[in-house]
Amino acid sequence: MIANLGFGALVLTFIVSLYGIGAAFYGVRQNKPAWVDSARNGMLLTFPLLTLSALSIIVLLVTDHYEVAYVASVTSRSMPMYLKVTALWGGQAGSLIFWSWLMAVFASAVTLRKWERDREFLPWVIVVSLITLAFFLALNIFIENPFNRLWQFPSGQVIEKMFQPAGSTLFYPRDGQGLNPLLRHPGMIIHPPMLYLGFVSFVIPYAFAIAALVTGRTDDRWIRLTRRWTLWAWMFLSLGLVLGGRWAYDVLGWGGYWGWDPVEIAAFMPWLTGTAFLHSVIIQEKRGMLKQWNMVLIILTYSLVIFGTFLTRSGVLSSVHAFAQSAIGPLFFAFIGLTFVASLSLLLHRWNDLKAKAEMTSMLSREALFLFNNLLFIGILVVSFWGVIFPLISELFIGQKVTVGPPFYERANGPLMAGLLLLMAVAPLSAWGHSTIKTLGRAVWKPAVVAVAVVVAVIASGITNPYALIGIFLTALVIAVTLYEYWRGAMARGRRHGENFFVALWELIKRNRRRYGGYIIHLSMAMLAIGIIGIEMFQSETQDTLSQGETLTLGEYAMTYDSLAVFDAPDGRNVARAVVSVSKDGKPVGELYPRRDFFYDSQQPMTIPAVRSTLEDDFYVLLVDWEEISTSSATFKVYHNPLVKWMWLGSWLFIFGTLVAAWPEKERDLAPVRTRAAASVKA
Amino acid sequence: MTEVKTKNANTEEAQASTGPQWGRIIVWGGLLVLLTIVALGLKRTQEGPVGPGQDAPAFVLTTFDGQEIDSADLEGKVIVLNFWASWCKPCEQEAADLETAWQYYQERGDVVFLGVDYVDTEPEAMVYLNKFDISYPNGPDLGTRISQAYRIRGVPETYIIDQDGVLTHTQIGPFTSLSQITAVIDPLLEL
Repeated sequence: MIANLGFGALVLTFIVSLYGIGAAFYGVRQNKPAWVDSARNGMLLTFPLLTLSALSIIVLLVTDHYEVAYVASVTSRSMPMYLKVTALWGGQAGSLIFWSWLMAVFASAVTLRKWERDREFLPWVIVVSLITLAFFLALNIFIENPFNRLWQFPSGQVIEKMFQPAGSTLFYPRDGQGLNPLLRHPGMIIHPPMLYLGFVSFVIPYAFAIAALVTGRTDDRWIRLTRRWTLWAWMFLSLGLVLGGRWAYDVLGWGGYWGWDPVEIAAFMPWLTGTAFLHSVIIQEKRGMLKQWNMVLIILTYSLVIFGTFLTRSGVLSSVHAFAQSAIGPLFFAFIGLTFVASLSLLLHRWNDLKAKAEMTSMLSREALFLFNNLLFIGILVVSFWGVIFPLISELFIGQKVTVGPPFYERANGPLMAGLLLLMAVAPLSAWGHSTIKTLGRAVWKPAVVAVAVVVAVIASGITNPYALIGIFLTALVIAVTLYEYWRGAMARGRRHGENFFVALWELIKRNRRRYGGYIIHLSMAMLAIGIIGIEMFQSETQDTLSQGETLTLGEYAMTYDSLAVFDAPDGRNVARAVVSVSKDGKPVGELYPRRDFFYDSQQPMTIPAVRSTLEDDFYVLLVDWEEISTSSATFKVYHNPLVKWMWLGSWLFIFGTLVAAWPEKERDLAPVRTRAAASVKA
Repeated sequence: MTEVKTKNANTEEAQASTGPQWGRIIVWGGLLVLLTIVALGLKRTQEGPVGPGQDAPAFVLTTFDGQEIDSADLEGKVIVLNFWASWCKPCEQEAADLETAWQYYQERGDVVFLGVDYVDTEPEAMVYLNKFDISYPNGPDLGTRISQAYRIRGVPETYIIDQDGVLTHTQIGPFTSLSQITAVIDPLLEL
């Protein structure tokens, strides 16, 4: 009953989407605005319909309807309520519905904005959004239907079908298989929604870009309209990436946060082009340059979102994240082909209209440095893309899937990332239009002295690894320059307006939130860099089997194995929990409880590390093995991860920075109306 | 310094005016190549695991005691390639039968049994091997390379490769009896 309701709503949404696409097309062709309005209403309707559909699944999940195949595959009776709800995105079919639902949220939100001044974009934004939505709905309806039920034939054979096949009866499994234990973590509950939010919200700027290409209104109006969307999309995507890293660090038990796995890279690639886009649109707004480039970037970002989703879900690449092999591959491939070819045709069609108004006048000007920043991002993208696609190529030519590992990515991307840090430090000090070595040098020398002092202090403390020193220098330079910028701006303002420093600083940020919010994000990236340098270059580890009372040491830390208990937890886990006491430099700093959970329903074990985390370092303990019954000895793997906490702190700061930059302002920033030179609707 | 831009502008104009627009051709060609690669990758994925009659993918297995076994050196021998893991309950069902079969063929010298330990930790794997007294070479699947090459779906799976390196039988799930194992190997030895 509920399953039928949910499926009905799903099919109805699909039909409404198709209608919306058709109506918008017809309306714009025949110049009948009423049809476009009707399409717009259709787009608004997708949200309540999909909400109904998603709610149906949630109801099925929390009420243990195991005759529904999806419910049986991701939940079990022993799971707590919140996990049953979030199991909506615990498997392929449900997560596709969730994706579509988020897409509908954004599509409706964009429909509700004021369209008077941008009427000509409306039909095309509708068409692009609804085509994307309809595609994901088609995946759900035709291939991965979350409402499929289990039917049993008299022969005992059980199959998955939406509607009752002749001669079969509904099959009720006693219990479900339960959610993969690896996914039972708070990070895993927020990580996918954040990532999906980032993915779907990039559809909107893309839709506007395509609308601009179709209508020929290729001034920077579409960029001004989507600037804030892009920032939010970027923030969600960044958060999705960081939370994924945090989950890996807390759950996977390899002492790391990022493994250059194909799926991680699939989410990282649109982030790269998105970040490049955020920077390069500023040049278009300020200098009227890089219009072609911005189009390329937003189309790339959307394409990479779709391509990444495809790689993850079609089973083309194997990965820890891969969903079970699925039949959605071919349909997905067709959609990718369609969007890539259509976007590229449109782009090339308008290529000459997108020529720059101004010219680059100096290699050290702000716009030139922004361009370098873009090139570095694209460099990292190319390296990462090559690494992801290489197994497919090698399989074609030598018949074997050769996977490139983290060393490849680290070696190739390391210098590029260092280059980005350098630009992050220097670019804020250069001027629009024209800068020379002299002007730039005058601006940069004070922060540079500070950064050198930091490096000297670090060397004095005994660190000599040259790569680490370069990284530390660049990071210190970024921080020094950024703080210097705040200080300089606030002082200048204070003198002008007779305000004290803090009032001046507040006003400064308030009046140019985009710039100073951006600087907060720069600071947060420097903190991220500190964490990365710490764990990548100074991580140490050891493994040992200890008898009760024995101690192992790692650096300044010593850890003693005290005891271990094995017991059953009420939620269907068998838990083995060790107690170890940790001391640093001979002073006790507390107890840690590394454990291993064994999930009875899915028959899977999971190792949960225990971590003592400080700003200086993390002491990270894994319980590897133990002597059964007597528990007289146990094996531990121990990591010392310096500075890693800075990464997580940095991510809080970048949320804050993005909020500062993106928080809605009164209509003021939409005010400058550009001349609509090319605004005639050519379609 | 202004060079960069002028050069760009020139090429763009050249693209617009002259006949063959190389930039566009390269872009479209690149897209076509990319889509082809992905399509072929997708096709392979859709084919499922490697099937009988195909050439068995080459592999190198490093055993738990550090010995390297290269499939290329095993030509002329029948290879029984078993994927297993210590956490895998169905694997235990067939473990004793596999060992018995190995004891039976070992003296002939033209049959090799190899165990590939899929996604596992070494201590547990060693306990498993001792528990079933398994004496044929076993090693971890480093980087899951071998299981990727065979596109296995899970464990246990067993692949039987003939003297010419052709895959002759795939067993998805455990063998249920000793005779089931010998029934697959004997014909290859013309017994």
